[in-house]
Amino acid sequence: MTHTINLIAQSRPETMERVLRVVRHRGFALNAVEMKNCDKNNTVNIQLTVSGERPISNLEHQLKKLYDVTELELNSALSQSAVAMNA
Amino acid sequence: MTGAELVLKVLQQHGVKHIFGYPGGAIMPIYDALYDSDVQHFLCRHEQGAAFSAIGYARSTGKVGVCMATSGPGATNLVTGLADAMMDSVPVVAITGQVFSSLIGTDAFQEMDVLGMSLSITKHSFLVQSLDELADVLHQAFELAQSGRPGPVLVDIPKDIQIGSVDFEPYPINDKKFPAIDQDAVTAARDLIGAAKKPLFYIGGGVGLADAIDELQDVLEYSQIPAISTLKALGTVPGDYAYNLGFVGMHGNQAANLAVQECDLLICTGARFDDRVTGKLDTFAPNAKVIHLDIDPAEISKLRTADVAILGDFKQILPQLKVAPHTPEWLERVGGLITEFAWRYDYPGENIYAPKLLNQLSKALPEDHVVSCDVGQHQMWVAQHMLFSSPRNHLSSGGAGTMGFGLPSAIGAQVARPDATSVVVSGDGSFMMNVQELGTIKRFSLPVKIVLLDNQRLGMVKQWQELFFEERYSETNLSDNPDFITLAKAFDIPAISISKADEIDQAVEQFVQSKGPILLHVQIDDKDNVWPLVPPGKANHDMIEGN
Repeated sequence: MTHTINLIAQSRPETMERVLRVVRHRGFALNAVEMKNCDKNNTVNIQLTVSGERPISNLEHQLKKLYDVTELELNSALSQSAVAMNA
Repeated sequence: MTGAELVLKVLQQHGVKHIFGYPGGAIMPIYDALYDSDVQHFLCRHEQGAAFSAIGYARSTGKVGVCMATSGPGATNLVTGLADAMMDSVPVVAITGQVFSSLIGTDAFQEMDVLGMSLSITKHSFLVQSLDELADVLHQAFELAQSGRPGPVLVDIPKDIQIGSVDFEPYPINDKKFPAIDQDAVTAARDLIGAAKKPLFYIGGGVGLADAIDELQDVLEYSQIPAISTLKALGTVPGDYAYNLGFVGMHGNQAANLAVQECDLLICTGARFDDRVTGKLDTFAPNAKVIHLDIDPAEISKLRTADVAILGDFKQILPQLKVAPHTPEWLERVGGLITEFAWRYDYPGENIYAPKLLNQLSKALPEDHVVSCDVGQHQMWVAQHMLFSSPRNHLSSGGAGTMGFGLPSAIGAQVARPDATSVVVSGDGSFMMNVQELGTIKRFSLPVKIVLLDNQRLGMVKQWQELFFEERYSETNLSDNPDFITLAKAFDIPAISISKADEIDQAVEQFVQSKGPILLHVQIDDKDNVWPLVPPGKANHDMIEGN
């Protein structure tokens, strides 16, 4: 089953590494990924498409646990504030 | 001041009085600052020992444990300890020196990607990017280690940042924040408890971590709901509580395992349905609805779907779950199970039966004591047969199951609680994994007491080979062990050795009365196994009993 995850995270050199590590370790395959620096607040916007047989809620919770992740949405567009930040 | 001096200053601001560590090139500025500091440093004899001592310090007190190491191999030697802290949710801050920022990525001497290797074994980690963020990163590290579900946080500090100049500014220490409690979920949970005919509390390490033991005991006493405990929860439920079913899981008490299979409501409180608890997951508590209480949303419905989940601070949640007792038949059934499956110590022959020895020792120890153990058969015997009045008195590597945990962990506990009797129970396999920490005991004249259960085997692996691998004893015979008495004496630690049951009384008395460190070497039969046992992949009601 395929899922789209859209998240905002603090921009640190290792942020993308942290996100991808959790995706792999929690049993999901990465199908597509895109990262953009946001203009404000030193954040990044990461969009992931993942697939796996395990409940996606497990991955969602684990990604939200990452200290740098400030916002996460599953299978839906980002909130207006996040989109605005990314604009 | 220098960045190194700032590190010490921030540590003190967070109440740190003791650090466990080992110096080296890339962390020399911090060790230099330590030279004039009021923070006391305990030189361990291996960085893994430092990490486990920090864990023992933290687990025996609830405070943050701090360990320190240099770059490269110093940091890699911390890794197993940090992984252990991660699995068991222990608040630890690890500080590592890193090579100069300009040398990172050049394969410089003792340069390794410590941040990279920390990602999977810490709650969070930082590679400090500039002097400006140093203080803030350290404050964040302490807050993160203790907030929500506790865990280890690593701060990697390049040497140029340690030697740079910076101003110190006091920082307000924030109180812990908790999510608001969902009152609808509380109502739903109360309804489930009120409707249940066979409710059961399934207690995990989270209750002790939340410092909510009094609140839990209050609920149990008021509501008269039976309780089972995980390895990390032992000591949370009072030993004299009439419906304390005790240790659950692979080597748990049969009463606990049968009760969980019969219950119709499982109130999982700070536990996580670990495979060593559940056996075959889809057969665990097959008739039960589940209320799951936790601080970590990621644990809810991870392995077992919760009918009701309540997130937040147990000190606030538990008092709201008091429901009048209403299950007399269930309580009678549980009381019967507890009586029927009480541990027995009628071991035939003249040899020493480790469970009986540990039970006797446990009763002889002063009230203020901490028992640290290693991993293997002796660990399960400690869990089964020693008595604990608090989870802070029982330090056992649960999630990670790390051999070598016991001795350094006991050192950390002894430093944290100098008036307590700190006891290690180890096996001959585990003991050798961090045996160098005997040097730490000697250096600081720590009165750590060691029980070494010696069956000249890697006992738990041997037990599985016997049961599940057709008695093919691959690499588990340790009959070429060193002379442990001579080994202890090399570190000025008095030692006694016993091999017969009639020697136990005198040895236990000498051990308990000893003012300083002592090693009690106990020779036991290699055929003694840990019973009962839920075979791997089986349901908890399929426990087997051996000899």
